[in-house]
Amino acid sequence: MVSEVFTFLVGGKAGEGVKKAGSVAAHIFSSLGRHVFQMDDYMSLIRGGHNFSVISTSPRWISSHYIKANLVVNFDKRSCETHMNDIAENGIMIFNSDEQDLENGIGIPLSSEVEKYSMKKLMFGVGAVAILAANIGFKKENMNQIIEDEYPSGIEDNIAFANKIYDMVYPDCGKKFILEKGDKKRPIVTGNEAISLGAIAGGLNVYYGYPMTPTSSILHFLAQQAENFGLAVVHAESEIAVINMAIGSAFTGARAMVGTSGGGFALMTEGFSLAGITEAPVLVILSQRPGPATGVPTYTEQADLAFALTAGHGDFLRIVASPRTVREAYYLTAEMLDLVWKFQTPGILLTEKHLSESSMTIEIDIENSKWAEPKMHKNGDYKRYLNTDDGISPMVFPPSKHVIKWNSYEHDEFGITTENAEKISFMHDKRNKKLEALIKYLKGQETVKKIYGEHPTNIFTYGSTYMSVLEALKYGRMNPTTIAPIYLSPLPIWELMEFKNQDNIVIEQSSTEQFTRLLKEKAGLEIRTTIKQYDGRPFDPIDLSNKIKEVLQ
Amino acid sequence: MENLKTYAEITYCPGCGNFGIFTAIRNVIPLLEQKGIKRENIIMTAGIGCHGKIFDYLNLSGIYGLHGRNCSNSEGIKIANPDLKVINFSGDANGLAEGLEHTMFAAKRNQDITFILHNNSVYALTTGQFSPLAEKGWKGPSTPKGSYEEPFNPISLMIEAGATFVARGFSGDIKHLTDLIVQGVEHEGFAFIEVLQPAVPYHNWEEYRDHIKYLEKEPENYFEAIKAAKKNHKFTVGVFYRTRKPVYHEELYGAYNPVTKKISRDTRLDKIRKTLESK
Repeated sequence: MVSEVFTFLVGGKAGEGVKKAGSVAAHIFSSLGRHVFQMDDYMSLIRGGHNFSVISTSPRWISSHYIKANLVVNFDKRSCETHMNDIAENGIMIFNSDEQDLENGIGIPLSSEVEKYSMKKLMFGVGAVAILAANIGFKKENMNQIIEDEYPSGIEDNIAFANKIYDMVYPDCGKKFILEKGDKKRPIVTGNEAISLGAIAGGLNVYYGYPMTPTSSILHFLAQQAENFGLAVVHAESEIAVINMAIGSAFTGARAMVGTSGGGFALMTEGFSLAGITEAPVLVILSQRPGPATGVPTYTEQADLAFALTAGHGDFLRIVASPRTVREAYYLTAEMLDLVWKFQTPGILLTEKHLSESSMTIEIDIENSKWAEPKMHKNGDYKRYLNTDDGISPMVFPPSKHVIKWNSYEHDEFGITTENAEKISFMHDKRNKKLEALIKYLKGQETVKKIYGEHPTNIFTYGSTYMSVLEALKYGRMNPTTIAPIYLSPLPIWELMEFKNQDNIVIEQSSTEQFTRLLKEKAGLEIRTTIKQYDGRPFDPIDLSNKIKEVLQ
Repeated sequence: MENLKTYAEITYCPGCGNFGIFTAIRNVIPLLEQKGIKRENIIMTAGIGCHGKIFDYLNLSGIYGLHGRNCSNSEGIKIANPDLKVINFSGDANGLAEGLEHTMFAAKRNQDITFILHNNSVYALTTGQFSPLAEKGWKGPSTPKGSYEEPFNPISLMIEAGATFVARGFSGDIKHLTDLIVQGVEHEGFAFIEVLQPAVPYHNWEEYRDHIKYLEKEPENYFEAIKAAKKNHKFTVGVFYRTRKPVYHEELYGAYNPVTKKISRDTRLDKIRKTLESK
């Protein structure tokens, strides 16, 4: 059977190597030159529960996983129950016959085979890789090589076990799926890795974080890469410390970044406001998970948009942008780092668990990234908050003969506290000028992605939901115009004017339609309806495609 | 010493203990310069409260941060560029109420900064509420019947947290205080200096002068230091604890400096290319 998209789903308990098996499968597909999209669904626990990894692959660019899988491998009963309806037409389920007996699907005594070896837990994952290899007719020696590379401990046992499982399933479903080769092998990168590498490309010097899903993996990746790239990476005592440390580092000229999710960002907002008045360039990675409060830690949502746009007390310029794809996350992080330094104000790269923790094959033109450079003071007396035409005061960093004062109180141009009425409004006006300067600059950049189609209805979306929408449109063979703003503050209204008085619909992941409201209020767009999902799960392209079909006129 | 003053109008109350600290720090800077520490390398931070006013008066670079949070600014400065010497001014509420976690963690990490705690045992700027170092029974607008809480012992607290230089000074003995601050800045590691300083609307100088004692002998080890801190609570001045431990930024990246030794764009892009090839 040959089809354009092939999907592999593997499910089991936390600790059985589900995610690892998913990523090994993704590498098998990418080694065939195919595009890959991997989504990991996991619970907030260390052992047990139910986790699954779903990987869709195609010779063409693919921007979402499909929940209906051609090959489903379940390690336990709970996984079988959960994914009973996730088997695509002509798909098969391979289950652990030591856990239950099922009429449909192929049972393999996974547990009793695993029992034969001393190291057990991750072996379920090795078994899943072997099952996949047999199903797609991957040669044993290639499979063995991959197992050797990917599972460095207990290589001999793993290979013996994998060969046993391969042989068990081969008679029933060997070479069941023929995967057409793609054009070339591409790296597989998670959203958080793309964000981290983009920040490094943009000039990052220091990163501060406090562990919180879904940005902990930025902290982990950068901590691991710190020496390689000459970074200081610090796990601090709280998000409050994190943002204030970043401001301290920015004072020395260090390109500083922090990462968190909604709850952690709530703690950062006072410091975010400090960055506003001190004009400290600080970039916050805000990756959303379902709220309010602790919410649903390991799932996805887009309900912190309104919060991000207004975060922090007082009037100041906030730059907010959201990457649509993993590839764009690389460029946009570097670009945002540059922007916060150009305009000396805090910025937020707003994303979601779905982008942060999903993996994709990507192609990056590495050279094409921005490099953060501030406007520097040249000569003469120095005033930290010098009033200029565009409101941007040239910078100096210590050690310097000049006295550099960053002040959280309202201040004069030198940086000394003031309560003088004229000076207060003067400094507000000075800072407010930066918005005009930023808009002028952004008018020369790509701030909204528009794909023009041939349908009277337009679709608006943003962030990683864009990827779900594109895949749904491809699946459903629909081509309405699709508009995705990359910048959300300032919202590029100049790019959206043309859609006024047209038939517009929005697709987003917020129960109260925060993005819809933004478009209505800021851009004055008419929105006929909003397709929304707020169950913590990203859209499935087939399901979304059906919903779009219903609302297209 | 005069060029260490800015043009800002000084608004401490007449007779305020903060004058003594302001004078001491202006004595300290030239002494540090004599020892080879350049003025341009000395950075200060202040939080919010009467102590923070020093930021406007002292003609040095730095950050006037949020209430309770300037210690994190100080740490961020030191981590990014360890060539800089950071002097962190704080009140007892700024450093031990709103900012307690940061003060404790900076000590725990042995961050190489000098933390000067202006102890007036009251929230002066916000009209006299009890503070973390106020005596139990302090009658302020938020505790009309007197506060119910015992004050912290900041000296034993900081020794326990991991500070490697812990001392107490008095703003009425500027010479002694100047000497303590110089030692604190020269010390490699987290130097904590509590400074007794009356806020005159709430306390008078006699309450201090009548009780001030000088520590006879500097304790030689951790347990002696804790003992001395407990025994000589509140009015005894001197160095209570001094030890050597690795400083945070050196543990983090050795002799590196993230700002002055920043890796070039080209090298970064090459390394990113290699990282991607392995993915």
